[in-house]
Amino acid sequence: MRYVFSGWTVPLGIEWVADGFASVILALFSVLGLLGVVFTGPTSPKDLGGRIVHYYTLILLLVSSLTGIVFAGDLFNLFVFLEVAAISSYALIGVAGGRALFAAYRYLILGTLGASLYLLGVSYLYAVTGTLNMADMAEKIPLLLHSKAVVGGLLFMFIGLGIKMALVPFHAWLPEAYTHAPYSISPILASLVTKVALLAWVRIIYWVFNASIVIDDIPVLLLVAVVGALAAVIGASLALAQRDLKMIFAYGGISHIGIILTGIGQGNPTGFVGGVFYLLNDAVMQASLFFLAGVAFCHYGVRTIDDMGRVGKQAPWLTGSLIIVALGMIGLPPTGGFFGKWYIILGALEAGNYFSVAAVLLATLLTLAYFVKLFESIFRQPSTRVEVPSGIIPLSFKLTLGVTSAAIMILGLYSSPIIQLLLSQALPPGL
Amino acid sequence: MVDALFTVLQRPNFLTFVILFLWGFYIMVTRFNLVKKLIGLYLVQTSVIFFLVSISAKKDATVPVLLSTTEPVQAASYLNPLPHVLTLTAIVVGVATTGVGLALCGAIYRQYGSLDEEKILEKLE
Repeated sequence: MRYVFSGWTVPLGIEWVADGFASVILALFSVLGLLGVVFTGPTSPKDLGGRIVHYYTLILLLVSSLTGIVFAGDLFNLFVFLEVAAISSYALIGVAGGRALFAAYRYLILGTLGASLYLLGVSYLYAVTGTLNMADMAEKIPLLLHSKAVVGGLLFMFIGLGIKMALVPFHAWLPEAYTHAPYSISPILASLVTKVALLAWVRIIYWVFNASIVIDDIPVLLLVAVVGALAAVIGASLALAQRDLKMIFAYGGISHIGIILTGIGQGNPTGFVGGVFYLLNDAVMQASLFFLAGVAFCHYGVRTIDDMGRVGKQAPWLTGSLIIVALGMIGLPPTGGFFGKWYIILGALEAGNYFSVAAVLLATLLTLAYFVKLFESIFRQPSTRVEVPSGIIPLSFKLTLGVTSAAIMILGLYSSPIIQLLLSQALPPGL
Repeated sequence: MVDALFTVLQRPNFLTFVILFLWGFYIMVTRFNLVKKLIGLYLVQTSVIFFLVSISAKKDATVPVLLSTTEPVQAASYLNPLPHVLTLTAIVVGVATTGVGLALCGAIYRQYGSLDEEKILEKLE
């Protein structure tokens, strides 16, 4: 479905494109955005420093700009929506003050640098093709693939969006920003903001450039797969070294961005669908993990994994959903994470990239390692018999933990119809 | 080498863009003052905007309003309005980002009493 603004025909005017790819992702993102707002609910705003009005305004701005990024049909609108989303997330991180201010400032410096690089890439491509509309540019690009400006534009766009999606060499801002952000904000940031930059990149590489591009003997997709593989392994091994709950989850998210890119970079339908399916799962899992960290701190006062042991057995909701999320993060069969990784590995085998297979398996092992560390501190620690200050868990906490945990299982149990839907509706034209 | 230098000198606007970009980036990396970093960032943004304008520059062209309705349209004699409009939007986005950055700097100054990155990091430890 296409919507053309104020009746200008497409190469001249601006359009919104709602194809299968955008619709599937937008449905999930809206649900997660709603859950994030529900989580804030009546009790947790104490970590917002009383700035409830600012929070709701900014969160609405953030979610609507994410919608814009998913729907945008031309590259410049994509840039504008990226910046609106980025500005509202800087403000959201800093909304409660304290340590988060400095993290937000660093995020602002790096994020704006990324956006400038992306704009530079767009202007390169505009200089060569004379159009900004994605569909129009896709028709003109194949004749121009040997132009140095196209190579430069693609490179700048990749670096710019790479900073936004926290790909490994550019990930430095993410753990700090997500760790110090208020607890009611980091779920939405972690599950949506980095994923949406990744989506924009997928949109550009598959819908604007063709799927099987080789520019000047550089196989672009293979490069993406290699970078993704490195990101997957490095992110997971950095997560292994952390003690802070949110820190672990943030590095886990970096590793998962790499796994998604590995799937996307295989250049065949299986790998692509695996990557997109894993992206859906990862959005749910990241939201779930940060809800969990939020409940752990706001309700039980737990911040690090050593404290988790103190609380573990007295908090059935927390431990129960942690087990389900862990199954998903590691990728064990009944959950969606398993099927995502399964299809990514199938796609890699199909393309003959054994390096990618090895990287995904290694990242899985490292993920297993840091969850084993976490569970060891919960279940194996000698019981200190310290009573945890806790009352009844508020309904909004139960609701968000329950819905995300259920969603992880449902995405796994109904993975085959979802994969079929993605295969029939969400594939890019060249694949 | 001389040839390459000659080619570069023929396109002074690209040279200016590269110098502005690298200058801004250098300021962002080397300075410890948070406001100075923002100035570097603004320079980077401006360099990209300058690039966008310079690729749309045309000699002896006029505003994109038809001069005569009877003669056939000569595309070379009209400026392309699109890059300029994009530039306008990019400037607005840049101003908004800088505004948020300055607001953050103000809040950081009120909290830590300093804008020096090293001093703030010391206090954070």
